[in-house]
Amino acid sequence: MKCTSVDQLLKNPVSFLDDSGPDDDIAISSRIRLARNINKYPFPSAASPEIMQEICENVSRAAESAAALGGKDVLVFYPSEMSPLDRQILLERRLASKEFIRTPESRRLFVCPDEGCSLMINEEDQLRIQTIRPGFQLREVWKSINRIDDDLSSNLQYAFDEQLGYLTSCPTNVGTGMRASVMLHLPGLVLTGQIAPTIQGISKLHLAVRGIFGEGSDNCGNLYQISNQNTLGESELKIIDELDSVIRQLIQQEKNARRSLLENDRYNILDHVGRSYGLLRHSYKLGFEEAMQSLSGLRIGVDMGLFNSIDIHKVNELFIGIGPAHLQKNASGVLTDTEVDIMRATLCREKLRPMA
Amino acid sequence: MLCDKCKKNEATVHIKEFHNGKCKDFHLCNECASAGETDQTLPGIGFNLAEVLFNVNKIAEKINPGKSESPAETQVCPVCSWTAEKIRKNDGKVGCPACYQTFDKLIKQAISQVQRGSLHLGKRPRGAKGDSPAVKRSELESLKKELQNLIAREEYEAAAICRDRINLLKAELDLLEAEK
Repeated sequence: MKCTSVDQLLKNPVSFLDDSGPDDDIAISSRIRLARNINKYPFPSAASPEIMQEICENVSRAAESAAALGGKDVLVFYPSEMSPLDRQILLERRLASKEFIRTPESRRLFVCPDEGCSLMINEEDQLRIQTIRPGFQLREVWKSINRIDDDLSSNLQYAFDEQLGYLTSCPTNVGTGMRASVMLHLPGLVLTGQIAPTIQGISKLHLAVRGIFGEGSDNCGNLYQISNQNTLGESELKIIDELDSVIRQLIQQEKNARRSLLENDRYNILDHVGRSYGLLRHSYKLGFEEAMQSLSGLRIGVDMGLFNSIDIHKVNELFIGIGPAHLQKNASGVLTDTEVDIMRATLCREKLRPMA
Repeated sequence: MLCDKCKKNEATVHIKEFHNGKCKDFHLCNECASAGETDQTLPGIGFNLAEVLFNVNKIAEKINPGKSESPAETQVCPVCSWTAEKIRKNDGKVGCPACYQTFDKLIKQAISQVQRGSLHLGKRPRGAKGDSPAVKRSELESLKKELQNLIAREEYEAAAICRDRINLLKAELDLLEAEK
C-alpha cells in the first residue's frame, strides 16, 4: 500500500471538532484507546527491527480487511518515509502520539477516512486502537472501537490471559487495555479558582487529569483530559459508566461556574472575553499558548451567547490550525519560531474578520 | 487507636481494602496518610504502577526477605531473555507476553497495589474459551441464591468470593448485551 500524504488530511475538517456532539459547549471530544498485542511476538521495546517489520505486515493485513476501520478506503501512513513536519501534523490532529512520531522506524499508522478512528502499529504496544468523537458520548465511542477491535481480533491472535485479560507492555494497562477520556473546556472553573480543588478531587477517584496532548503534557487553553487510571478488575462498561458520572458532574459544575460569573462578576468575564477577542483580532505576533488561551476566552464568549457574529466552527478550526506544523504546512515550508508566530496572528486575524 | 505506621499519633484515617473477598484494614494518622499519598505508598490511593515496578528490587525483597538476591532477580524470560533488572531499566514495562508468567509473583504483587482488582472482568477476544450467554445466565441465577444463603449463614468470606463471581458474570453478560 502506498503511503498517504498528509495533504489529504488537511482537506478534511477535523471530525472530532465538528461541534455536533452532546454537551459540546463544555465537552470537546470523547476518546477511547485500546492496547493490544499479538501472542507470538515480543512487545515493541523488546523486538528487533525485523520482528517489528513482521508485526507491521501482519497487523496491516488485518487492518486492511477490518471493515469498521474503513475497509479499502483506510488511509495508511509510513512515518519513516514522512518529513518531521508531516509527522507533527499527525500529532496535532491527535492521530498519533509524541512517542510514535519521535522514533518513526518500523511503525505504521492507519486512519479511517473521517479521522474518527486510527490504529498505531508498534507504539508502546503492537496495536494502539483509537476512536474519537465530538462532544460527550463515551458509550457511542465504545461501540465503535469495540467493532474495530472485534474485526481485528478475527484475524489476529491477541495475547490474552484468563486472569489478567489483555497483556500489555506496561502492566498499568493490563486487563481491558482501555483508556477512556473526555476533553473538557473548563474556563469557568479556572476563572472562579475552583480548578485546583476539583483536580485534586478527581485524582482521588482513580481518574487522571492530563493536558491536551496526553501523558506529560500541560494544560493549555483551559482544556483538560479526564481519563480512567485503572484497567484491571472492572469491565469496560463499568469503567465508562464511572467516568461518565464524574464527567456529568464536572459539566454541571462548569455550567454553575459560568452562570455565577455572569451573575456576580459580569464585567470581569466580559473583559476576559473581549480582551481574548481583541488579541486574536489585532495581534501581529502570537505565541501558541497565548493563542490557545485567547481562543479559550473567545470560545466561552461564543458559548455564552456574547458573540452573535462568530461561528463556533471557526473557533474550533483555529484550535487545530494554530499548531506550528499546520501553520508551516500552510506556508509550504519550515519556518522560524518568529515566522510561525507571525503566521499564527495572520491566520487568526483573517479567520475572525467580521463578515461584510 | 494509634497510627499503624508511626505508632505515635491517634489514627484518624481508616482505609478498608477489599481484594477478591479479602479485607485489609489500615489505620493512619493525618501526617502518615498524607505522606503516603505523596510518595504513593498508601494502598488504593492513586498509584503509579510503573513506579512500583521500577522499584522491583524492593518488592522482591518483600517477597523473599533476608535474601540479598531473590529468584525474581536472577530469572530470565525464556522468550525475550529479559530480566527483572531490564524491566526496571525499561520503566517497569515488560518484554513480551511470556514475561507475565516468568515474573508472575513480581508483577502480580505490583499489580495488586495499583489496580483496583486482580481479575479481568472485561471483554474477551473472539474465539477465546468461554461459556455461552445461556450457561452464564443460569450460573448467575444459582449464584445469586447461593449468595443469599451465605449471607444468612453469616459466612462473609465465602459470600465475598461469590459476589465477585456474580459481578464477573454480570459484566460479561452486559458486554454481550451491548454488542447486540
